[in-house]
Amino acid sequence: MAKFLFIYRESTESRPRPSPEEMQALQAAWYAWMQKFGSAIVPGGDGVKPTGRVLKGGLVTDGPYVEAKEIIVSFAVIQADDYEAAVAIARACPPGHTIEIREFAGYA
Amino acid sequence: MSEPRGLVEHFFRHEFGRLCAVLIRSLGVRRLDLVEDVVQAALVQALETWSRRGVPEDPAGWLYRTARNLAIDALRRERTHARALPRLAEDDERESSPLEAHFADEIGDEPLRLLFVCCHEAAPAESRVALALRTLCGFSTGEIARALLTTDANVQKRIERARDRLRELDVDFDTPAAAQLGARLDAVLAVVYLLFSQGCHVTHGDLPIRRDLCDEARRLARMLAAHPVGDVPAVHALLALMCFHGARFDARIARDGALVLLEEQDRSAWNWSDVREGMAWLARSAAGDELTRYHLEAGIAWEHCRAPSFADTDWRRIAELYDALERIAPSPLNALNRAVAEAYLHGAQAGLDRLAAVLTEDIPARYPGWHVVIGELCFRLGRHSAAERAWREALCLTTARADREFLLRRLAVCRPEGGEPAP
Repeated sequence: MAKFLFIYRESTESRPRPSPEEMQALQAAWYAWMQKFGSAIVPGGDGVKPTGRVLKGGLVTDGPYVEAKEIIVSFAVIQADDYEAAVAIARACPPGHTIEIREFAGYA
Repeated sequence: MSEPRGLVEHFFRHEFGRLCAVLIRSLGVRRLDLVEDVVQAALVQALETWSRRGVPEDPAGWLYRTARNLAIDALRRERTHARALPRLAEDDERESSPLEAHFADEIGDEPLRLLFVCCHEAAPAESRVALALRTLCGFSTGEIARALLTTDANVQKRIERARDRLRELDVDFDTPAAAQLGARLDAVLAVVYLLFSQGCHVTHGDLPIRRDLCDEARRLARMLAAHPVGDVPAVHALLALMCFHGARFDARIARDGALVLLEEQDRSAWNWSDVREGMAWLARSAAGDELTRYHLEAGIAWEHCRAPSFADTDWRRIAELYDALERIAPSPLNALNRAVAEAYLHGAQAGLDRLAAVLTEDIPARYPGWHVVIGELCFRLGRHSAAERAWREALCLTTARADREFLLRRLAVCRPEGGEPAP
């Protein structure tokens, strides 16, 4: 069984705010997803706050880059047999994100 | 581990309104936009957290705590800011009082106060409905635009205009004193009534009835009636009216989404518990000697509900009620409905005569229903080409899918051999 990192990105372009009704539907959909794939989801996944720091060449700047079109909003670690299975789990996520799927290299 | 629990329908939407109401009590009507931002942020946190951990035991309490903390954070940030820039310092002592002290565990009459604020006469009339839908009912800009048949930008503009006016006037967050109650209550009822009729008579789009709007209108009216300020005959009458109309919603829509005329509705499919509730409100509305348009419209709706069949409808009584309505709230729509009653009482020609008598220049272009009725009455008199002309006219003015399909069906009846009528 391989481990995959799911990196969820959201567009930074200003979109209309989701309505309370839409948020309620999303909450139910995400919760259902978490339940359905509970055995594949490795504990520790979380959302990340919208701003942070970037350390590059010894310099610390506020990040993520303001010009970025998409920012990372959350991540999850998923156990799956192969990419096909991992992608199937990602496909089952409620819509609204770009999801980057990367297999763990297994160095650690 | 607790059982995963779901949320009741519209929980987020209704909590949005209740949270706004509680926070406005502390922050004042002037800070409506800050309050909405904070409440929105609290819902986003709930979405993120509850998606992962499930819904907590007391979701409403969780939201209150989160929104309260976000509000405190926002005010603290502002205060820091104010120290750095003295000219921005708030002179309002409300903000220097401890915020926490204002929060109670119980929701009192804040949502009702918020309703009065949203319906304040200071705001332009078309802004009030939009503001109430946003702040109190938790609709998004897009949802309001669809409900009120306008654009997102227009809704945004209406809401901003209303907020600006309320801020300029520094409107109090309180139910009105007895002295001004009459006028303020009229404005509130007008908004609730408009909300309901927007839901009942959708003039374009795919849904024949926007039931969520009707439900919101009933929820707000019930909230009014539950408070001494709104526990008055006009409110009871409006509730009766909404119950009687609401009772027929299911029967009004066929399985394929088509409109079913009152004449063809299966009366056993009406919601009789709604009718009973309406009767109770109607009885209460009779207290006192006040007679409002809501009383008369509830009376008319009740006549339809109480008739065992369409043929048994008491058109004489309905005609009288429309006459009374025309005296206190004249409108082309009443005149049209009165003419329909006339046609059932004294024949189609009598109905047409009545329509001709009240016709003014601007009516035909604004009311597709006008042509629908003329078409129907002409058809009954055997004047099929006149009926066809009228229905085609109506079709040109109609964009709602269900209404268009209805008209196309009538046109097909008009000229059965003619195949598809031209659009």
